[in-house]
Amino acid sequence: MAVEPGPERCELIAASFLQSQRPLLLVTADMAVIAGSEGAARLLGCGPEALHGRSLMDIVVPPELLDACRGGVPCGASGLLHVQLRPAHGDLVPAEIRCSRFETAAGPHCLMFLTDLRQREHDEELRAVRLAKLSLLNQVSEALYGANLSLEQILQAVLICVTAGEGLRFNRAFLLLVDEGGSELRGEIAIGPGTAEEAWRIWGDLATGQGDLFAMMTNYDRSIKQTDMAVNAIVGRMRIPLADTDHLLVRAMHNRQGVRAMAGTPGRGVEQVLGWLGGREFAVAPLTTRRGPLGVIIADNPFSGVPVTDLDLEFLQMFANQSATAIENSRLYRELERRLIDLRKAHQKQREDQETLLRMERLSVMGETSAVVAHELRNPLVAIGGFARALERSLEKSDPNRQYASIITEEVGRMERIIHDLLDFIRPQKQTRASVVVDELVRETATRFLNRLEDRAITLDWDLEAGATRVPCHPGEIQQVLENFLVNAMQAAGEGGFMTVSTRVLEGGVRIAVADSGPGFAPDLADKLFAPFFSTKPTGSGLGLTICAQIVKAHGGVTEALNRPGGGAEFAFILPFPRDDDDHGNAGARGDDVL
Amino acid sequence: MSKVLIVDDEPHLRLLYETELRRAGFDTLTAGTAAQGLEYVQTMKPDLVVLDIRMPGMDGIEALQRILDRDNRIPVVLNTAFSSYRDNYLTWAADAYVTKSADVTELVETVRNVLDGRVASRS
Repeated sequence: MAVEPGPERCELIAASFLQSQRPLLLVTADMAVIAGSEGAARLLGCGPEALHGRSLMDIVVPPELLDACRGGVPCGASGLLHVQLRPAHGDLVPAEIRCSRFETAAGPHCLMFLTDLRQREHDEELRAVRLAKLSLLNQVSEALYGANLSLEQILQAVLICVTAGEGLRFNRAFLLLVDEGGSELRGEIAIGPGTAEEAWRIWGDLATGQGDLFAMMTNYDRSIKQTDMAVNAIVGRMRIPLADTDHLLVRAMHNRQGVRAMAGTPGRGVEQVLGWLGGREFAVAPLTTRRGPLGVIIADNPFSGVPVTDLDLEFLQMFANQSATAIENSRLYRELERRLIDLRKAHQKQREDQETLLRMERLSVMGETSAVVAHELRNPLVAIGGFARALERSLEKSDPNRQYASIITEEVGRMERIIHDLLDFIRPQKQTRASVVVDELVRETATRFLNRLEDRAITLDWDLEAGATRVPCHPGEIQQVLENFLVNAMQAAGEGGFMTVSTRVLEGGVRIAVADSGPGFAPDLADKLFAPFFSTKPTGSGLGLTICAQIVKAHGGVTEALNRPGGGAEFAFILPFPRDDDDHGNAGARGDDVL
Repeated sequence: MSKVLIVDDEPHLRLLYETELRRAGFDTLTAGTAAQGLEYVQTMKPDLVVLDIRMPGMDGIEALQRILDRDNRIPVVLNTAFSSYRDNYLTWAADAYVTKSADVTELVETVRNVLDGRVASRS
């Protein structure tokens, strides 16, 4: 600095740095401050004017260090001092002083460059934190994608990361997800101490012995919903309708933008969230994926009181983005898994059904065989036991043979009971309903009568028009009804008469009729024909038509008897088609479908 | 003395029923097939028929129908080893249904009750 010495020079220098934000001081050789920059004033906690005339000896601790600047340092040279500065208020500030000495006409002066070591440490710390957090994000991302975690595990892991000392260092974290219906943002799970005391204890534990984050995430096997009761009670209360689009949380989610808010921050929902949290400040980071918003993470520091910085918010948001993808993936995976399970179940059921059928078939064969054997045994047992009884009766009480006969009777009784129990057990099931081609059933049944009809010279006319139409029925029972009608018609038609069997498809079912050329019946009897024990014939039980009517009724159908215009009677019944809401045949019409 | 026709294809059982019914005071008559039974119904005019169901050739159910076709006033007691026929309504036309047992008491009692005009046992 080849500048002409003189007081003007000091003024020039001072004027040049007064506005500087770097802390600079201009002092005389006896350490009186001539001028200080704005940065120096801020560092020392006073206005720039207040610095003027103060002795540096009052500001620097220890003051002896300044002696070097006073005398020892040659002009034009500079020295480096590590000192502490005493600001107007508060604690001493560690600082570095670079002292540059120069001569003027008014004597030697010093230009002091101050560096706040706290600030430097802070900057370094920030760099370190940034690095640590980036590394954390990397770890988390590996953990979330690599391990096969359930949705709940992922949610827990996310919250652990937000709060862990190695993670984002928030005191508490709350996770809210959009519900399945997409109508509400709903508190899902939270992590963090319930009280300040608990917080200190947990962080103390963590500081002494925690592994890496991945270990923490995977070892955290208990449900945090159970351990962190207090925060989970809070999160349970959090519900915001998505329709409330002005709400801070809903807005953050839709804007895909994290926000910080504290008491007094304008906007809808701030007071509500603060009310839930019971704190002064919180950060919100939306969880969004390409498919849309998933929810939000809320984090705060009510116990440490550390303010939420821009950096914190930035990391929270970066972290939330990653979590959202993991959550979405997990949901998709779970959906896939669910469908796979459904498929497996369907397959399993099919296989079981098949096995059941096979087993039933085997049992049925076994049952039939045992029934035949049991029945065949019954007759000889009756003879053995019956005669043993007769023998026993015929012998004198004193005759030992009487006792032997009695033993035979007793043992036969036992065998009969065994057979009885067995037959009760394997009693065959009644025929179940089948879908039957009506015309086939009718033709088959009536054909059996042809010989008998021939004997009586009765002509049978076939008038079957149902074709391939099917109805659900017990074929055996329907055959019996038809047989009954045929027998009646045969008797009514008499020698040389004729009969007609007909089928017609009606709207609701199939009508099966047997007509005869007989005398018909008196019109006033029409209602009585199907009544029990009513018979117009001198022979017969009178039960036939009653039973027919019962069978048809059980099938949901109706029976009718009418005199034909050309003479003779016609007995008919209608078997209904299954109703649309009734895919098992007319199950409702009859309770005893089986057995 | 009431005349009871026993229709059963098992000779030993015919003998047993004959013995027991006679002992109970009935006159008896036996047939080894349904066809012979039908013939006796017409020719011998029994007062009651004890009818087995499972028989070779014509079975008891068909025989029952035919008996009733000719004369529905003659009482018929079905006597069978198969309790399942009880569910077959074709047997409902009979006056009673007895499951065969070495203890013939039930059969004898049933025959007596039916002849006395008491309600048939059907439970």
